[in-house]
Amino acid sequence: MSHGTAPRVSEARPLAGSSVRRHDGDAYVSGRIGYTDDLSLPGTAHVVLVRSDVPHARITVDVRDASTRPGVLTVATGRSLAGEYGPIPNAMDPVPTGGQPLEIHVLPVDKVVYVGQPVAAVVAESLAQALAAAADVKVHYEPLPHVMDPEAALAADAPLLYESWGSNVMLSGTVGSGDVEAAAARSAGVIHGTLRTGRGAPAPLEPRAYCADWDARTRRLTWYGTTQAPHPLRHTIAEFLGLRERDVRVVAPPVGGSFGFKNFGHPEEYLVCVLAVALARPVQWTEDRASTLRYGARDSRLAYTASYDDDGRVTSVACDMVANHGAASATGAFGMAFAGSLAMPSGYQVPDFRCDYRVVVTNKGPWSPLRPFGKEAGVLLMETVMDAVARRTGLDPLEVRRRNWVKADQFPYVTTTGLELDSGDYEGLLDKALTVLDYAAFREEQARARGQGRYLGLGVGFEVLPEGADIPGALIGASDISTVRMSPSGDVTVLTGVTSPGNGNDTAIMQIVADRLGVAMDSVSIVQGDTDICPFGFGNVSSRGILTGGGSAALAADDVAAKLRQVAASMLHVDDAERLVLRDGFVSVDGDLEQALPIAVVAHALYTVGYIVAPDVEPTLESTRTFRMRNIRHHADDDGKIMPFSTFSNGIYLSVVEVDIDTGVVDILRHVMVHDCGVMINPRFVTGQFTGGVVNGIGAALTEEVLHDPDGRQLSTGFKTFLLPRASDVPAFEIQHQVTPSPFTPLGTKGAGEGGVACTMASLLNAVNDALSPLGASITELPAVPHRVLAAIGGGQR
Amino acid sequence: MSTTEHDHSTTTRLSLNLDGTDRTADVDPRSLLVEALRDDFGVTAPKIGCATGDCGACTSRVDGQITKTCLRLAVSAEGSQIVTTQGLAEDGELDVVQQAFWDEQAFQCGFCLSGMIFAASELLAENPDPSEQDIRWAISGNLCRCTGYEAIVAAVRTAAARQREIPQRG
Repeated sequence: MSHGTAPRVSEARPLAGSSVRRHDGDAYVSGRIGYTDDLSLPGTAHVVLVRSDVPHARITVDVRDASTRPGVLTVATGRSLAGEYGPIPNAMDPVPTGGQPLEIHVLPVDKVVYVGQPVAAVVAESLAQALAAAADVKVHYEPLPHVMDPEAALAADAPLLYESWGSNVMLSGTVGSGDVEAAAARSAGVIHGTLRTGRGAPAPLEPRAYCADWDARTRRLTWYGTTQAPHPLRHTIAEFLGLRERDVRVVAPPVGGSFGFKNFGHPEEYLVCVLAVALARPVQWTEDRASTLRYGARDSRLAYTASYDDDGRVTSVACDMVANHGAASATGAFGMAFAGSLAMPSGYQVPDFRCDYRVVVTNKGPWSPLRPFGKEAGVLLMETVMDAVARRTGLDPLEVRRRNWVKADQFPYVTTTGLELDSGDYEGLLDKALTVLDYAAFREEQARARGQGRYLGLGVGFEVLPEGADIPGALIGASDISTVRMSPSGDVTVLTGVTSPGNGNDTAIMQIVADRLGVAMDSVSIVQGDTDICPFGFGNVSSRGILTGGGSAALAADDVAAKLRQVAASMLHVDDAERLVLRDGFVSVDGDLEQALPIAVVAHALYTVGYIVAPDVEPTLESTRTFRMRNIRHHADDDGKIMPFSTFSNGIYLSVVEVDIDTGVVDILRHVMVHDCGVMINPRFVTGQFTGGVVNGIGAALTEEVLHDPDGRQLSTGFKTFLLPRASDVPAFEIQHQVTPSPFTPLGTKGAGEGGVACTMASLLNAVNDALSPLGASITELPAVPHRVLAAIGGGQR
Repeated sequence: MSTTEHDHSTTTRLSLNLDGTDRTADVDPRSLLVEALRDDFGVTAPKIGCATGDCGACTSRVDGQITKTCLRLAVSAEGSQIVTTQGLAEDGELDVVQQAFWDEQAFQCGFCLSGMIFAASELLAENPDPSEQDIRWAISGNLCRCTGYEAIVAAVRTAAARQREIPQRG
């Protein structure tokens, strides 16, 4: 064996933890990426939806005039389709957990339950013709009383959206354990409070777009559209249409942002299929911005009682959550109330805890899944409680958190809602944040500023996000499948069941595979989002892209690598295949490039002269593997609890704000972020997830709110009335990473898709209240828009 | 311009120079410019995110001026020279702003790129060494829901630095 000067391969896997660029970034920046609405299949017919003007009414729809207009191919109504098609399948069903049955039709059959609900679909040769004809659809409304407020919807005499339920409660439940009343009775103090979150909206820049194409000859449906979940959607489309799954192909082109909104269960996903089958040609629907904004989230009230001892330890928390779901939907959005409850009591040791939640329907548009899938409720509650305990005990808010956190040596730790937190170092997060922000200096600056009539505040937000969900009975699982194959020229293709909402997980998966096979990035390509090509997968939900998509790709790549080693061992006359190293494009003996073969040569040899070079090796350079999280538990424990989440990313944020007490405007001066999502495959992509989440959180905390008038009309229908933060509204962020690897994943990753939103909402709420504290004022409702801040100041002792 | 009856609707002939090529199409005179670019000329780089001038996803350069093409009627662009992000690359080589957006991972879903890239280009044409605040103001007419703007600001800064280092073309 040669020593010293002999050429050797790189010491470490070169791509692991490296912020390589997006593999297809040049196509993006030069406008060459085709999103769904950029496709145009020959002969496509266009859909325009006629929408309800009233929030609650029985309807009859007269389409006779519209049907005769130029270019019109058909006009569908709920009634015209009801004979042939039942309700659409539910992404999640509330019934098994004691909730109400959901029957969502592609178009409502006899009544509408929110303003803007589609009541008829006009299909024409051109969009302009469909729009013109839509004006001639006559809808007769028999108005019913409507209810927009969830607490009013709980009243005994409230109008019922779905009469057969007997109430407006879709689902209710309780999580937690212990005896909160007894714990409170023996504690030093008790705090009561209420928090409210306004109605937010996912609002991706790309509205939804769906195109279905029915081939009457082969009786096969191809569906193109904005979806996060091609395989689950294929399953439900087949079920809905009465087709075999093999006769439905779902293709998901790149999407312009999802944030949960583009998971499956929207009526229009199935509507375009019905219309395509009826017309035997491609049918396309693209929504407008107002339609996108009709899907909301949050809009919840949390009433809480917390008890504490003089040492700042929280002894119990009881929470009553009322979630305003708006109209029912099949998207499984109701699960956000459950997830928000389970996310309590966060990473704190609260021995007695209970959350009672009720998901209430009202005459607003439906809830949509929205990152971080309701978990912001749990984070906001606990971070509010921590600050309240600090005020009562006179302890510093940071110290109160330190005293209540699960300690780094206590993992795995089972919370009082039954989640087994895998790993973490919460105090480490805070220590890191304090290396960036000089806390004592800030307090001095704050005191000086107050002397000058300026109101600065610092707020803490800490989040633990249950991710990697596996929901029993639903097509949301903590596993995914990937195939890795190498061609005779050494080209590697990855096929995976996870999809990318644009976050770069495709590139990161290529990094993982390239490293394990010892090849360069440009030897690897990836295919996502096509059910005819890719293995089954759950798409992108619950931060799974790298967790299970990357995990399964790593396992499959390792199989192919093992095969290459076996073949190369035979070709290089080495007995022990384990001595072979795949790196830098070569298979080498112990990393020695003088005893090496190009990987492409080994692949080619196996395909072409396998009987000679490796007669005992099965000539397959392909593997399909599943990675499934092993810490999910669906059998209930003695307490009746299951463990539906598999990984727990966490983070702490410190926000510094200045509140202008004359205008009520909140200005963010600093935002320090420390997060821990375990091992990062591509740190720049991870950072991008968090900075994006932060600005979603800033919007939810300060500016974004979907408003309705008393007549049930939605006032926020565009970006002038639903205010997304702009670049000039947010500061530069101060970002730190902490890495506590997950013990349950092959790569140590934890999932980064939902981070930053919740703890930004909490840190800004607490920062505003810290700023207002000298005035005796505080806000308890987000977003902290100027009128709310001014009202709080007016109610304080200014 | 000529007007003809066609398929029950009236169309108007529109001629443009689009991404360096002279093009003609029959468009519905009610079309927004972005609709005509996408549907009648088949150039899909400009996106429709709002159709109210708020998000900037439809931005293109029209006669040298960056323009939210959802705020103009197609027929008003007769004879115009229009450049989309599809036409920015010269001989297949990305321009300095496009390259920096790729290098700095300044996009996720990519839907906002037309607006961000053209706003950044316009800023750099006027101010070769912009401050962070200059950059944030320059791109604030465009919305991004994915990145939190941090990486976009970094990309504009990188593009500015690279542009200062290389001699100007032409």
